[in-house]
Amino acid sequence: MSDLDRAIAQLRACRPIPENDVRELCHKARELLIEEGNVVTVNAPVTICGDIHGQFHDLMELFRVGGDVPDTNYLFMGDFVDRGFYSLESFLLLLCLKVRYPDRMTLIRGNHESRQITMVYGFYDECLRKYGSANVWRYCCDVFDYLALGAIVLGASNTLSEGGGGGGGTAPVAGSDVEIEVCNADQQIISRFLRKGSSSASSSREGSQAGESQVGEGGSSPERGRTEGSSNDAAGGQPTTNGFGDGGGPPAPTNTGPPGSGASGASGGSIGNPAGAVLCVHGGLSPLIDNVDKIRLLDRKQEVPHEGAMCDLLWSDPDEIDGWGLSPRGAGFLFGADIVKVFNHRNDLSLIARAHQLVMEGFKEMFDASIVTVWSAPNYCYRCGNVAALLELSEDDSGLGVLARSNGDVNRSDGMGGQGSRGVLMENDLLGYNTAGPARRYRVFQAAPQDSRGMPAKKPVADYFL
Amino acid sequence: MMAQPVPHQTTADKKRVKVYELRNNDWFDRGTGFCTACFVTIQEEQKEPRVIVQSEDQPDRLLLETKIVKEDGFQKQQDTLIVWTDNGVDMALSFQEADGCQAIWKFIDHVQQQFQAAMGGPDDGLSDDLAMDMPTSIQLPPAELGTLIDIENTLRNLSQSPSGRDALAKAIMSEDYIAKLIPLVEMAEDMESLGDLHHLCNIMKTVVLLNDTGLIEHAVSDECVLGVVGAMEYDPDFPTHKANHRQWLNNQGRYKEVVRIQDDQVRRKIHQTYRLQYLKDVVLARILDDPTFSVLNSLIFFNQVEIVQHLHMTPGFMTDLFAVFGDPTVQPLRKKEAVIFIQQMCAISKNLQPPARQGLYGNFLQQGLVPVINYGLRHPDVTVRVGATDILGSILEFDPSMIRKTIYEQTHRKQAPLTDALIDLLLVEVDLGIKSQLTESLKVLLDPNVPGSGPPPENREGFMPKGKHQVSSDPQQDAFIAHFYEHSVAKLFKPLLDLEKRPNMKFNALEDGIFGYLNEILCFYIRHHTFRSKHFVFDHNIASRFGQLLACKQKHLQLVAIRFFRHLILLRDPFFTKHLSDRRIFGPVLDTLLRTLPRDNLLSSACLDFFTSINYEGDRELARHIMENYREKVVALSHVDYFKGMLMRWDQSRGYTVSEVDEEDEVRGVGRGAMMEHLAVDQAQEEYWNSVSDDEEENHHHHHRRPTGVVVNGGKLPLVEYTSDEEEEGGGGDAVMTTTTTTTAVDGGGSESKENEKPVVVVPSTPPPERLSEKRRREEDEDDALDRLMQHKRRNSSSAGSNSSLGSSGVGGMLRKKGSFHNNNNNSGKARSREGSPNGGGGGGQKKIAISIAPVLKTAVVRAGSPAAEEGGREVRGGAGI
Repeated sequence: MSDLDRAIAQLRACRPIPENDVRELCHKARELLIEEGNVVTVNAPVTICGDIHGQFHDLMELFRVGGDVPDTNYLFMGDFVDRGFYSLESFLLLLCLKVRYPDRMTLIRGNHESRQITMVYGFYDECLRKYGSANVWRYCCDVFDYLALGAIVLGASNTLSEGGGGGGGTAPVAGSDVEIEVCNADQQIISRFLRKGSSSASSSREGSQAGESQVGEGGSSPERGRTEGSSNDAAGGQPTTNGFGDGGGPPAPTNTGPPGSGASGASGGSIGNPAGAVLCVHGGLSPLIDNVDKIRLLDRKQEVPHEGAMCDLLWSDPDEIDGWGLSPRGAGFLFGADIVKVFNHRNDLSLIARAHQLVMEGFKEMFDASIVTVWSAPNYCYRCGNVAALLELSEDDSGLGVLARSNGDVNRSDGMGGQGSRGVLMENDLLGYNTAGPARRYRVFQAAPQDSRGMPAKKPVADYFL
Repeated sequence: MMAQPVPHQTTADKKRVKVYELRNNDWFDRGTGFCTACFVTIQEEQKEPRVIVQSEDQPDRLLLETKIVKEDGFQKQQDTLIVWTDNGVDMALSFQEADGCQAIWKFIDHVQQQFQAAMGGPDDGLSDDLAMDMPTSIQLPPAELGTLIDIENTLRNLSQSPSGRDALAKAIMSEDYIAKLIPLVEMAEDMESLGDLHHLCNIMKTVVLLNDTGLIEHAVSDECVLGVVGAMEYDPDFPTHKANHRQWLNNQGRYKEVVRIQDDQVRRKIHQTYRLQYLKDVVLARILDDPTFSVLNSLIFFNQVEIVQHLHMTPGFMTDLFAVFGDPTVQPLRKKEAVIFIQQMCAISKNLQPPARQGLYGNFLQQGLVPVINYGLRHPDVTVRVGATDILGSILEFDPSMIRKTIYEQTHRKQAPLTDALIDLLLVEVDLGIKSQLTESLKVLLDPNVPGSGPPPENREGFMPKGKHQVSSDPQQDAFIAHFYEHSVAKLFKPLLDLEKRPNMKFNALEDGIFGYLNEILCFYIRHHTFRSKHFVFDHNIASRFGQLLACKQKHLQLVAIRFFRHLILLRDPFFTKHLSDRRIFGPVLDTLLRTLPRDNLLSSACLDFFTSINYEGDRELARHIMENYREKVVALSHVDYFKGMLMRWDQSRGYTVSEVDEEDEVRGVGRGAMMEHLAVDQAQEEYWNSVSDDEEENHHHHHRRPTGVVVNGGKLPLVEYTSDEEEEGGGGDAVMTTTTTTTAVDGGGSESKENEKPVVVVPSTPPPERLSEKRRREEDEDDALDRLMQHKRRNSSSAGSNSSLGSSGVGGMLRKKGSFHNNNNNSGKARSREGSPNGGGGGGQKKIAISIAPVLKTAVVRAGSPAAEEGGREVRGGAGI
């Protein structure tokens, strides 16, 4: 058993590893991360996760639901630390797994992976308590500076792989028709959404999705006109319902363009480019970044700045507005459906996956499924009462969707990238290949049961003079 | 919600019961059934409290239906029996379970109390809801093991309403109820009655969360504390666990006393404060709500202030304390503890009002603090070194001139100044925390912007008129800096200077850490010590030294070099640009990029960032230098859009200065365009303009811009004309340029519509959000934001108590300096503006945060807010709440 495996075992038991081991680990991680681009390329299949926030036991639950490393290829979209009581164990475990299985684990930076934020929201104090000095915090912060800012998922299939619903699910549906599948932690299918235009009627109670999972929110969880429209009658296959057609739901988003312009959601299928890539960032888009390759021009090794492209990627939020708006967070921006659609179109993305916002249902698709928020901290802060989700994208085995990316990441795609050309994200001639973005399977899970989480408490100060 | 599961037993729950009637002095069994007690509506608006028993066998049949009347004299006997007189007949209910009996009894008892209190009859003032406002004086159930459930329910019900809480707190205090409860813990432990212990835990939690200052202080008093935390060792949420709070707090060895504190009361206060922290951090960590959190914090805060003030004022105490260091007979352990003691005092002192803080530090320094720091810096034990740097840090954060004065004296007396000790340690220290604090100290101490006198006014950090730094206001500081450049600077940067003679670029882990820090210090000096630093950089050929790092294997060291070069470029100072080109730095950087580029990694991104930071429009000479010397490298890189564009621009303009200044000016006047391309164009141009007019501004540390972030970001944009080449180029995958590419350079998104059949979504031409006026406002608001941040920080640090080596990152350091001027806001900081906590008093409060605080703030930290403000902001606004 190597030192690393031993460290992993110890961390899995939620016990911190010695300071020297942390230093060693961070050193190794740095060497590894320095070789990653600002935007890491990841090939499907991949399981995309949102915020963790130090909820170690829920992270364990996540691994239980999503499969263990290295069997499952994971992509974590930042915010590993703060808030929860086990930021240290959670982050170190993820980092250990990254070092141990670099190809099966991708970590990108969230706004909480920052010195200033961790000083205020708990990680700093936690390190201080658990080690008596802030050194471990410093080692970790150094690693934060090296974390990638985003990831591109290539080769995601537009059909779901088998095995989502295991037993006990609903009747099988022609796989190619399913665009979204929602499973619970016990591998049972809660609901399925068929692709628009699919002839077969939708399967299991689509309405239940809207009814059960939304908690006081306006829209149903996958926020699409179609699913809302179908909540009473199983009209999943009606291509005519679009952003304007959903009578029963909340007011139709006003930011859609004229019908047929491509901005209305009426042009068939998901907006976004077929079989396109999926961009993963923690927050969202930036007005300074109109193209994914511009992210590559940033020297990311720094504290998260207070403004600018790097800040925006980690801080922005999508919102029901036109264009850009000021963010109530004071950093980053709000961006509307139009921005997302133009960006996705320009970069041949079919979807942007991001985290950063608590969603009670664990995930939330917006803007005609052009962007999704994934949230992986159930019962956030041990009291928000939300469920968590992870997003699975399966591998395209047709051979049509997979494209090797030419600018190589070490240990990824083809390392040296012989041609040396920094190509576009996806070939344009694939436009006509299929009709919508990747098929998405969401696994929704709840907070780990009480007994398994032990007594959360901070380690008290040992000696005192005053 | 798991925080405090409330086992909600309504009185409507069915309880299995036997009904007896006294006939002829013998209890006659009327049958077995399920008992309920509730208000029954008899007419409209008319409700009567009734006890009903449904037959077990025939659910339709009622074995009993009796109205609760005052005169009936209900009594509870033993655990499972309720007796009364119904119209002259003695009745009894015998419950199968004590719980059931208790529940029914609670209802009856409550109704009877209402009779006594209100006398108004059941139809007025009574409702289904038992948790209504209680009379102000209340009777607590006797503190016995048998009544624990009763107590728990009473407390819970009363604590629902504000008046109930008040009454409860009063009653608990006046009856000394906590003291009565405490023996029950051990009794229950002896009986191994886990259920009782869980009830006791819930009771204690409720008592503490009543959030009454007096009550909490009483709970942590010597008499009560062990019992209180003892009860809370048995958390019903974790039935399989037991905490060991008593063991922890009972360990007397935790309290260290370097110099005897004579005053008993102060000593008690010290213990009490420690317990409060323990309560906050450990015992209640999981269930703490906002109000209790702030009550605990302010208790801790006021105690700490009082303690420090007392020690500071006690005659002789300081002398005794510092005498520890002068006495050769004193054990090293005691000296070590003395350093840590001072460190803790400094940590707490951050909460003091500025005059008090000044007084304390003045006292310290007068007693000989600098020698103590010196002693600590050289100590083999890392905790002592941390302590020493921490002490230094706290004073520097408050007022660097206090330390500087000592240093002036030292140099005057030809002693080695404190800075030398700092340098010595920086070069050999292995602890990262100490290293970064030393880095910070070496920056602050060498800051030429010395305020006139007295505690630093705001303008030290912020609003210095441009260019003022050129004239160092303080001749002493100037002399010291001169002395520093004469004697110390070469020592400080020795690892860098030594590179010249170094045969290879192989570093071990110990060596390679230093360059990042030296880079940080040097960049600061370059920004602030205009001519001296220029001389230094020039004389020692610093650019070449950093250039050497590009040849080493460790990528993070190459990154350090590139970061240094970029810093010089961003200064937009012809001197440094010339230095870079004279030392032929651009070649190696281009080489590094060429070497790295097939890979998309941090190093290639950093190189690209470096080149995109160069403002070719503003510095034609530099463009010429690069093109004339490294053209072949640029050509080799022309598959990168940026370099392709650079080549093209150069070939098009060929030495002529592009005369597009006027046009650009117009474009700029239009404002930032709607299309992102336009936005970017303007940014780039703005950068250009800023770089000309604000040259000076960027040269020194002015603060309305972020010291590092902004300038860099502005410069990060590639010149826009080349940006939308992306699609065309990628399609071909090679570097052949089509004519379209050239047109794109002029016409932003035009080519796009040609390329794609699909209708293109046009971005609505909303102006980008950040208008100039707003931007300015937000920048001003930064200060507020920083204050808030500081208050948060202070909250944390003060509560941590062991505030070792806080924030030594660059920005952190700056923030601390800022924060220190606003101590008078302490209380609001203490009162915790609810942002830091995830909890919620409900959607309303959080909503308020999301709207009223967050939009104004610009700092990264403050914006993080509560989960509502942060992650759930929109949800809350949407009305969902969390």
